[in-house]
Amino acid sequence: MTTISASWPTTRQRIRAALSKLWQPYRPVPLLGWLLAALVAVGMEQLVGLPLARTLGMSKIPALFGALVVLDQPALIPSVLLFLILIYILPVGIVARFTAPFTNKIAARLVSYPLVITAVIHLLLLYAVLHIWCDISDYRVLVARMAMIAIILTLSLNVVNGYMGEFSCSHPGFMALGAYVASVFTLVFFVSENQFGEALVPPALGPFLFPLALILGGLVAAVGALLVAIPSFRTRGDYLAIISLAFMFIVKSLFENLEIVGGARGISNQPNYASLPVVFAWTVLAIWIINNFVRSTMGKALNAVRDDELAATAMTVDTRKTKMTAFLFAAFWAGVAGGLFAHVLRYINPDSFGIRKLAEVLAMVYFGGLNSVTGSIVGAVGLTMISEALRPLEIYKWIIIPIMLILIMIFRPTGLIAFTEFNVERLFLPKDKAPEGAEDATA
Amino acid sequence: MPLLEVRKMTHYFGGLRAVNNYNLAVEREQVRGLIGPNGAGKTTIFNLITGVYHPTEGNILLEGEDITRLETNQIADRGLGRTFQNLRLWRYLSVLDHVKMARYSKLTYGLAGAFFGTAKRVNEEKATDALAMELLELVGIPHLADQIVTNLPYGAQRRVELARALATEPKVLFLDEPTAGMNPEELIQMMDIIRRVHREIGLAIFLIEHRMKVVMELCEIIQTLNFGEVIAEGTPEEIRNNPLVIEAYLGKEVVL
Amino acid sequence: MEFFLQNLINALQWGSFYALIAVGYSMVYGVLFLFNFAHGDVFMVGAYIGFFVSTFLLAADLTSALSLPPSVTLGLVLVMTLIISMFLNSFVGMLIERIGYRPLRAAPRASAAITGLMIGIILETGNLAILGPQRLAFPELIQTATINIAGVSITNKKILIVGVSILLTLALHLFVRRSKWGMAMRAMAYDYVVVPLMGISTNTIALMTFALGSALAAAAGILYGVAYPVLDPNMGILFGWKAFVAAILGGRGSILGAGLAGFLLGFIEIFVATIFPSTMRNLIAFGIILVILIFRPHGFFGEPHSAQLRL
Repeated sequence: MTTISASWPTTRQRIRAALSKLWQPYRPVPLLGWLLAALVAVGMEQLVGLPLARTLGMSKIPALFGALVVLDQPALIPSVLLFLILIYILPVGIVARFTAPFTNKIAARLVSYPLVITAVIHLLLLYAVLHIWCDISDYRVLVARMAMIAIILTLSLNVVNGYMGEFSCSHPGFMALGAYVASVFTLVFFVSENQFGEALVPPALGPFLFPLALILGGLVAAVGALLVAIPSFRTRGDYLAIISLAFMFIVKSLFENLEIVGGARGISNQPNYASLPVVFAWTVLAIWIINNFVRSTMGKALNAVRDDELAATAMTVDTRKTKMTAFLFAAFWAGVAGGLFAHVLRYINPDSFGIRKLAEVLAMVYFGGLNSVTGSIVGAVGLTMISEALRPLEIYKWIIIPIMLILIMIFRPTGLIAFTEFNVERLFLPKDKAPEGAEDATA
Repeated sequence: MPLLEVRKMTHYFGGLRAVNNYNLAVEREQVRGLIGPNGAGKTTIFNLITGVYHPTEGNILLEGEDITRLETNQIADRGLGRTFQNLRLWRYLSVLDHVKMARYSKLTYGLAGAFFGTAKRVNEEKATDALAMELLELVGIPHLADQIVTNLPYGAQRRVELARALATEPKVLFLDEPTAGMNPEELIQMMDIIRRVHREIGLAIFLIEHRMKVVMELCEIIQTLNFGEVIAEGTPEEIRNNPLVIEAYLGKEVVL
Repeated sequence: MEFFLQNLINALQWGSFYALIAVGYSMVYGVLFLFNFAHGDVFMVGAYIGFFVSTFLLAADLTSALSLPPSVTLGLVLVMTLIISMFLNSFVGMLIERIGYRPLRAAPRASAAITGLMIGIILETGNLAILGPQRLAFPELIQTATINIAGVSITNKKILIVGVSILLTLALHLFVRRSKWGMAMRAMAYDYVVVPLMGISTNTIALMTFALGSALAAAAGILYGVAYPVLDPNMGILFGWKAFVAAILGGRGSILGAGLAGFLLGFIEIFVATIFPSTMRNLIAFGIILVILIFRPHGFFGEPHSAQLRL
């Protein structure tokens, strides 16, 4: 009996085989094709989404692919599913599949152009999709921006906790420094009638000088990081974990005691500069620069120092400099993310940058996967979405998410997508006569 | 002036004298051996010269320049490359990345290149790729370039270490038991590789080895160490017949 | 002088809580090399267990059942609450070890740290979900009596709290130094691999470490309830993190060190609060800790070690 049944495929294998058969026609679809298909889908939602949603008995278009509805009004689940199939799955499936020869041709031609042009075309398409998707509701705009800020944060923490293999707890502190500095900068220069007096510069210049505020915030965060890094990297061991933790508490209580920035009440009324395109541009910039860094030999030196410090130094790697650079670099991006965060919410107080924030960012890093840019993006977006989707559960959300993370830690201790390289060039390649490696990247 | 000179080096671990009054003069393109029973202090001498520890007393000179107090990475950059007795590879890096990593101090593209992927960086990384591939060919594993080191067999891992050490452009190459744990076939291959490296790059080699066959065949001059002190130094022939060496290895009774 | 002594007494009491929690942190860190970030919440759970046990014991009306004078009954209730709660809370600790940490024995240490963080959140939220957001009033187990010595007023509660915490810390220290089990723990702190070779199960030692730490945390919770009879689900967060820092300040695996560092933290906080506005307490306390760590990176009693919180 047992010998016979062993030769039969198990249910799991059968499901996997079925899925791979279903996926077969989509293997030759390049990234360009998927973006085009997504554009069609969000366009359809824009045009016929509302009437369709009304017809199906919903008052409005399901905001996050129906995730909110499922827990709130279970009776609407069939309608949501139908909506998803009609608006997203079918159009994407059809367009992606049948434009594949066409998109592959374009992708093949793009290969001969410089990478910048290819990248810009893809990014413009991606932004168009995002923009149209967000056009449906303000809620989507907020969630999308928070998710992108989470990407910057997660990625920068991954540089320290993943690539460098240390355990830093000070990210909320760096974020706070960036948020406060950027807020004060914009409030002092571009906004009248607040605790800082009249605007020093015509407010019309504000959006153009906003990057300056963010960079300044990032730099101040990096200087703060110097205070953590100098004592921590002098000796090896767990000191970074403890010193960075103390640093986080110090920053938080520092702002609680600074009456000029509102003390425990915080600051509000930041100008609305962190719009969707601005946050998108900064996120792309952060991913691009951080990915450049970790793929360079200088960035890979972090891995060498992590895996065997003695061998690294014997191979001419300056371990202290490497660690310092990476730590300050990560802090800079955390500061930038903080500045964006302050201008998205347009209200911050010291409590926004406490232990809960730390738990959240750490969770995103370890959920997505250590030492992996893709993992950080997945972790940040995934956890933001899950957290929004579980909102109807109220406090039970904070039981479900931790349990989920504990399970991930048990079954994949380094996260979902750990130790991979994010190869941009390969991403844009046509897929019709794809080399084996490229197939793995899409699978 | 010898290429590498060690003068009266003594080192204590706490109260324990691990190395006593050690002297060394390595000439250009010379192959030297360091032998001795377990615990004689051979690896300690390697670690002292390459800056893992700093000696309690004595000086180390490379081409006349005092490098005694420099950090390990600076010493490596000046031209002392090494391998390790127990392989020390980086778990998640590819073979090619291992070799490229040893070019760390030679890269000049700086942070701007690292962050923004400048043309300078692209060119330098490309040149480094080519150099790394050349070295992998020299040690005979170019086909493994994209492999993650943990997947490789032991012999191949040793070769990665060798290629990596060569990428630092060493003037003196320190090999800490390069054939440890190898089977006879791998052993012969490794000896060939060491000879080839010596012939093609023309560097000086200083090796620790337990297998007499390897030392006797490869080295021009051999030092024998016992309890942290050099008890004999000379050509393989002299060492083979030195009663002190035989005593250190086999014990007094046997000599009688 | 009186002012100083008065604050010294207050600081001793305040430091007692830190000391008892820090000792638990230090044990786990020393023996298993693990950051048990859930420990602050184990303290909170201990306080709640103490609340329920004491409420139950008071309701059981031992006065008439055993025909004891009321004051003796109250004392008996306190002692029983301490013992029963410590016993129960040790199971909470063991459960956390068994479910959260044991599957991660071979995993990177940072994963375990994340797990600890998450278990902490589950404990807080679980409490909030079950008992609701309102705070609970810890029953009055001691009638406050004040003794005046040289112008300094000392309550019997303070004496009890400081006494019990010093006693427990010393007892644990002796246990780890003298007993066979303590020796196994110390062996494990030195070398993880070698202990199973000596015929002692790593898992047993881990469970015992967690049980002892959690028992002390429960004691801290009850003593806290005696001094400040208001319990809320988030009470463990700040206490936990501060005690964690104290544990590191004490030095890896040093129980006395952790205890002393806990008291030191109490002193710093109380004296900072008397000189500066109380909102600056965390700022200055952590600033001082940072300075101490910069000059004594291995803590007061710790030995240098090169292990790293690896991936």
